Amino acid sequence: MADRADRIRLFAQPVVVLAVVAGVLVWATTRQLDDIEQRNINFPTLLELTWQHLLLAIAVTAVVVLVGVPLGIVLTRRWARFAAPVVLTLANIGQAAPAIGVLVLFFLVTASTGFWVAALPIALYSLLPVLRNTIVGIRQVDPTLCEAGRGIGMSASAVLRRIELPLAVPLILAGLRTSLVLAVGTATLAFFVAGGGLGVLIDTGDKLARYSVLVVGAVLAMALALLVDWLGGLAEEFLGPKGLR
Amino acid sequence: MPLWTYVTARWQALLMDSYLHASAVVQATVLAALIGVGLGVAVYRSPLGSAVATALTSAILTIPSFALLGLLIPVLGLGVPPTMVALVLYALLPIVRNTVVGLNGVDRSVVDAARGIGMSRLRVLTGVELRLAWPAILAGMRVSTQLLMGIAAIAAYVKGPGLGNLIFSGLSRVGSVNAVELALVGTVGVIVIALLLDGAYVLVGRLTTSRGIRD
Repeated sequence: MADRADRIRLFAQPVVVLAVVAGVLVWATTRQLDDIEQRNINFPTLLELTWQHLLLAIAVTAVVVLVGVPLGIVLTRRWARFAAPVVLTLANIGQAAPAIGVLVLFFLVTASTGFWVAALPIALYSLLPVLRNTIVGIRQVDPTLCEAGRGIGMSASAVLRRIELPLAVPLILAGLRTSLVLAVGTATLAFFVAGGGLGVLIDTGDKLARYSVLVVGAVLAMALALLVDWLGGLAEEFLGPKGLR
Repeated sequence: MPLWTYVTARWQALLMDSYLHASAVVQATVLAALIGVGLGVAVYRSPLGSAVATALTSAILTIPSFALLGLLIPVLGLGVPPTMVALVLYALLPIVRNTVVGLNGVDRSVVDAARGIGMSRLRVLTGVELRLAWPAILAGMRVSTQLLMGIAAIAAYVKGPGLGNLIFSGLSRVGSVNAVELALVGTVGVIVIALLLDGAYVLVGRLTTSRGIRD
């Protein structure tokens, strides 16, 4: 059932998303726009905000991969294994924290604004799925395979590089997809700390009672999240090791 | 003002916000469970229906909560209506998925046996299948509740009830006294309620799982 649902989304999602975005953009740009609307609904502005949003998600993903995967690998090594439950418990409690709270607290405590003030707390918040899936992915590798690797003379790092990691890739990718969706979603909140992104349009539209601006911002943010999720689905489908597909 | 003095001075208001937060999340989860289990029951026998329901609800889950809340403002205005609609929508996926998986996991021979001793289709569903699938459904509700805790905090933007209001008033008072305290109390409050509710699920699970499948 899950496979079939994935396949439906793989085909239907981009089509529906593109159709809705095109529809909303045509609707929003062909109407008679007043001053405020014109200043917000034009292609340079929309493109810039979308790009900011995407940049935030990319930065977050980079941090999450660079921190989450190595940390996950370390926590599965024999000498650090005892720390895994502690780190996972902490991460689980961290995940229970509301994203908006983490974002606002980081902003208030550091007393600064800008790109990284938004990106770092979002990264912290999106870390858990990749961390957990890296640990689970490596742990579920059949130990006899690792022993066989050692038996034919591979070093411990070669076993990690050529056996454990490739077999963990599908789960790591699934975690990354979850992290990415979280990141794109949370990036709509970045404007609260002057981090830009499509949330700006939603807030402007709400504050100035221009619902067209709000709708364009919300639909673009939704479309971005659904497209990123779709790309993550594609990656899961095609980037895993061939033997497991 | 030290954090502790701040908390003790506003104890009542904090308790009220915490209660409203938990209450909104619990009510939305229960409502989503009614809808989600109904949806699950309606589709679980058809592989295509199950796939479509799962695909649809998981697509909803992908939508940024702030964008959905924003979109609901022109339609439903501010306050409780957009908050509850958004919360219920986000809670659907884990419940629908787990209902379908749980119902499909029921041993066919058990269902055949129930039919064989003369139970009607409805009796089999309510007396056998749903009872056996209940632990899975409850697990879905637990995931939904955790998910909603954070979304309910964002709902303060559309004037929804709960601890998110503390976080937003902290944000709007940036630079002044108590800004950090407000945001901190709001954030930690959400974490505490999330952990308490999670504990409550363990208890509810113990009390409502049929004796035969309890471990």
